[in-house]
Amino acid sequence: MTAPTPTDWSFRAEDVTKVYKGGVRANDALTLRIEPGEVYGLLGPNGAGKSTLVKQVIGLLAPTSGSLAIGPHDLVAHPDVARQLCSYLPQAQMPIDSFHLAEAIEITGRIRGGGREAVRRRTDELIEALDLGEWRNTLGAKLSGGAKRLAGFAMATVWPGKLVILDEPTNDVDPLRRRLLWEQVRGLSSFGCAVMLVTHNVLEAEKSVDRLAVIMDGRIVAEGTSSALKSADRGQLRLQVMLTPGVTTPAAPEWVRHPLRVGNNLVSSIDEGDAAHGIAWAVDLMNAGVAEEYALGATTLEDVYIRLTGHTSDDDDASAA
Amino acid sequence: MSVAEAPVTDRAGTDVTRTGWPYWLSGYRTMLAWHLASLRMWLGVLTVVQVLAGVGFVLGFALFFADIPIQAALFVSTGVPVINLVMVGLILGPQLVADQRTSQSYDFIQSLPVPHTASALAWYTVCLIGGLPAVVVSLTVAVLRYDGLPLAIGADVVPAMMLTAFTGTMLGYALAHAISSPMVTRSITQLIVFGIFGATPILFPVSQMPAWLGSLNWWFPFRHMADVIRASLTDLSYPDLAISYVVLAVWAIIAGVLAVRALGRRQ
Repeated sequence: MTAPTPTDWSFRAEDVTKVYKGGVRANDALTLRIEPGEVYGLLGPNGAGKSTLVKQVIGLLAPTSGSLAIGPHDLVAHPDVARQLCSYLPQAQMPIDSFHLAEAIEITGRIRGGGREAVRRRTDELIEALDLGEWRNTLGAKLSGGAKRLAGFAMATVWPGKLVILDEPTNDVDPLRRRLLWEQVRGLSSFGCAVMLVTHNVLEAEKSVDRLAVIMDGRIVAEGTSSALKSADRGQLRLQVMLTPGVTTPAAPEWVRHPLRVGNNLVSSIDEGDAAHGIAWAVDLMNAGVAEEYALGATTLEDVYIRLTGHTSDDDDASAA
Repeated sequence: MSVAEAPVTDRAGTDVTRTGWPYWLSGYRTMLAWHLASLRMWLGVLTVVQVLAGVGFVLGFALFFADIPIQAALFVSTGVPVINLVMVGLILGPQLVADQRTSQSYDFIQSLPVPHTASALAWYTVCLIGGLPAVVVSLTVAVLRYDGLPLAIGADVVPAMMLTAFTGTMLGYALAHAISSPMVTRSITQLIVFGIFGATPILFPVSQMPAWLGSLNWWFPFRHMADVIRASLTDLSYPDLAISYVVLAVWAIIAGVLAVRALGRRQ
């Protein structure tokens, strides 16, 4: 690794490997870099190794080998510095049942090193921007799941570190405030924060990240911008067949690629040239009573994700059909 | 304008890492504020429960006797403060941490940038705040209930109580953070409760115990907590008082080191 210049505040993971006691290899030589101001998506199904990486970054786990750094600071050797440089929104709800919403944000900002006045201003700004004003003095225990999630987001970002780690930030948040949240994520990048967005919501990630990596079995299986990842699927179409509930999965012709059944949805991709065959096959299934309807459209990042992981983003129990 | 006062927008490109005493003190202060806010709904209830437990012991033991000997009343009344002082840190603390692990909020709290020693001392302060009112009330009730109770409170009550609460709190803290299974933590705290009430000479003299159990207790901190506190509250003479302080201090140091190490342990 080349020595960073003092002004290089990027987050750098190099060959990070984590083998748990018992031999499970949760991270396998992960190498990635997040520039200041960049929103970087970390996608992968449950158990892919995303949480393991995050816990190593914030100093809760030690890597078996490899290095983690921000600017001139070695995060593995100095977990205390790592905690100062990284702010973290966990996937679980924040423990703020006894806190008033504004108070939870302010105390966290003060713990993170902000001055009283500056933190107060920033808290007001976030409450306004996320439209949380009506709950400002409400106890955490009385907040809805979505409001609590946004409070957690505000706590993680009130006095952000160089790296802000957001694990499924929009869970439980209503569509209107989701948009407000993403605006704030963009705001973080304009402050120069590197943002690591951990999610399995591919569609949301596609809209909000600059670059992304797909993790599977502890390895990065693809990395790049959303369009670069999709370019490999150029010339492909997405064929989605809604099966009749209760039927066994029909055998797919060999030109139907990566068929994956999730619930009653059979998702696959086909060559553009096979569009007519695809439609004919889907109509045959409908005539046979096996399917109820079908849709044919352009491939999305979701299809790339399915191809790489064998999972859809909203169902971790999916199985290759 | 210092970095801390600067608006968050002006910090790009600057090294925001903090070190030294200002960082430690700010960590202690803000973590104390965090604990007090997070226990807001419970600290009052907790204090009342502690007071009730303390007063219950002070008054309840008299019911074993037609006319309780004043020495027995003195023993119970000066043993109760030990229980009040260690209960929050040793029993409640580990259960709170077990709850954090169950609700998965443990990782967030651990990710906050506070020096581990500051974090531990902030928690110790909370435990003192939770225990001291009960000590005062229990002793006051004892004086009101037992005519001529020979209390003689000296200045050594301060180190005796601080050290007792510290050792209890740090043992609980080490336990809480070293054991990752909430179930195991809860079981161990139950075991400690039984141990304290049944097998340590806190509420009664060590001479009442089987000799082997008395000797065994010499190696554990609870007997010494009772001795230093009783010596500070009465005129009873304890020839081995200095040794008790030493043993207790050794436990305090070991527990403190274990607590801070457990807090910073990475798997």
